[in-house]
Amino acid sequence: MSAFWYYVFTLVFFLFDYFILAMGLNIQYGETGILNFAYIGFVALGAYVTGASSMPSSAGTGQQYIMGWGVPFPFSLLLGGVAASALAVIVALISLRRLRTDYLAVVLISFSLVFYDITNNYVPLFNGADGLYNVPEPLAGIFKLTTNSFVPFFAVVTGLIALVMWWAMSRITSSPLGRTFRAIRDDDGVAAALGKGVFRYKLTSMLIGSFYAGIGGGLIMQFGGSFNTTSWLPAETFVVFAVIIVGGVGNNIGLLVGSLLVETLLIHLPAFLPEIPGHPGLIQYIDTMVVGVLLMVMLWFRPQGVVPERVRKTPMSLLQGLKSDRALNTDVPAMSVVGDGAGVIEEGGRP
Amino acid sequence: MTSGQIEVPSKGGDGESALSCQELKKSFQGVAAVTGATFDVPKGMITALIGPNGAGKTTVVNILSGMMKSDSGAMQIGKVDVTNWESYKIARLGLMRTFQLSRELGGLTVLENLLVAPKHQAGESLLNIFFRPGRAKREELENTKRALEILRTYGLFDLRDNRASELSGGQKKLLEIARAVMAQPQVLLLDEPMAGVNPALIERIGGYILDLKNQGVTVLMVEHNLNVVEKICDHVIVLAEGRTLATGRLSDLRANPEVVQAYLGEVINASTTR
Repeated sequence: MSAFWYYVFTLVFFLFDYFILAMGLNIQYGETGILNFAYIGFVALGAYVTGASSMPSSAGTGQQYIMGWGVPFPFSLLLGGVAASALAVIVALISLRRLRTDYLAVVLISFSLVFYDITNNYVPLFNGADGLYNVPEPLAGIFKLTTNSFVPFFAVVTGLIALVMWWAMSRITSSPLGRTFRAIRDDDGVAAALGKGVFRYKLTSMLIGSFYAGIGGGLIMQFGGSFNTTSWLPAETFVVFAVIIVGGVGNNIGLLVGSLLVETLLIHLPAFLPEIPGHPGLIQYIDTMVVGVLLMVMLWFRPQGVVPERVRKTPMSLLQGLKSDRALNTDVPAMSVVGDGAGVIEEGGRP
Repeated sequence: MTSGQIEVPSKGGDGESALSCQELKKSFQGVAAVTGATFDVPKGMITALIGPNGAGKTTVVNILSGMMKSDSGAMQIGKVDVTNWESYKIARLGLMRTFQLSRELGGLTVLENLLVAPKHQAGESLLNIFFRPGRAKREELENTKRALEILRTYGLFDLRDNRASELSGGQKKLLEIARAVMAQPQVLLLDEPMAGVNPALIERIGGYILDLKNQGVTVLMVEHNLNVVEKICDHVIVLAEGRTLATGRLSDLRANPEVVQAYLGEVINASTTR
């Protein structure tokens, strides 16, 4: 396989992986209004658990890590998703019940920094700052894949996983559960006044979104075979935010577009461009700036994103036999109370 | 009973209260907003909660609906003590409310605003979405048909697919009432449903409230329009300076000097001399 196609399939992998990550953050932020600034922490936990559970025992590997169970793919990936969801329960119990959006965001970003420092410094957990490496390539033995053929193979596998997860997410967002999430996003006080247990629904949203984060992180680990703390600096969360804001908050198709524009074209494509002579690394610095500028431009001129959240229209089949308001004006009840305006109390208790 | 209350029956025809509170108190950073609200809301009737601006009416409604916790006092829905319950638990007992400044769910369509209202929907469970989709779909279909009927009744049918944020002020008032009706309330708290509404719409909203009473819903409404209160309310509670000043029929309250001094004042004189 030529280098060109190697790059193309690498970009395809990141397109689908960030689509999964964006769906996870979107259900939390775009659908439920939870400003999860710790999102990258859940991605990282998914990556570490997927890697550590799929690797053999750490003895003799030159690395230190927990687990080392040799769990095969895709079960190692599922473990990563479940671990991220379990962490979401702990975080939600601590922070979601009592904190409003802005305070919650501060607590979550603090949590992300604490988790980052623990992972970076406590070596027995996931090998400290060096992180995990030499993670086995999933299914490579079964399909007799070489390093070159593994890239397109796993890009396609990731695409299939993304397709299944998109189907599942569409079921959720188009269901009454998704509608309740959006009601909480718009006004959680009103949702509570309608009998919705807001904490329970936010917890559910956190669980679902974090599962997606864990799966997305696990795929990165399985694709690259290594993962360390430079891969998930807390600011990485804002790249996923950029994906959903540029693509379109609350729209699954928009998330794919956002993933293509931000993650694939702006973050990863420049990494494959030749360096500017005399300025090594300049392109990568510029692309980060471009993402920031793009985010500001979108928020200023098109806050709804490239593909806005769609209006969910009433199914036509339910409208048969129902007349419009104009045909029914005579049915409107009245109480005949309006006189000449006397008795209407204005400010200060005067009519 | 607080001092100065008129001795008139405070309960409904069968003497049963749908909602009651005793000595509710609430302060905000030392400023007393409610200093002793005590009243019963008769079952199956329309009760008005009136009083001058700053009397604590909206604070009382917020406490009764669980959106705010009282510093002291007690409240019951029927015979269930719900003092300082969370609002979603109170709502599940059948108490719904609207807001002084409309709080529509702006990102949802008008129809979706109603569809979100029914309690315990099958489609709100992940298990049902993936493993019992038929049950969730059937219930959703029934809810949608009922919501469309309600929208038709409230004159919002043609706006069903508009985002709620696009509605006018009056339409938002109607939407809030329709949304509460969709939840099949036993008790409905309406916080100034006629505020900022044109006279024709006041007629309609008044008619809807009377319809709800006829369907057995107990209504407690904060209202400044005394014409509306006189025409549709069976019972009136007067709040002043955070406490219950008097309860009874509006015609009886007109004769109460304390009530006249605190709230009605020249309004009564003006309307009775016409």
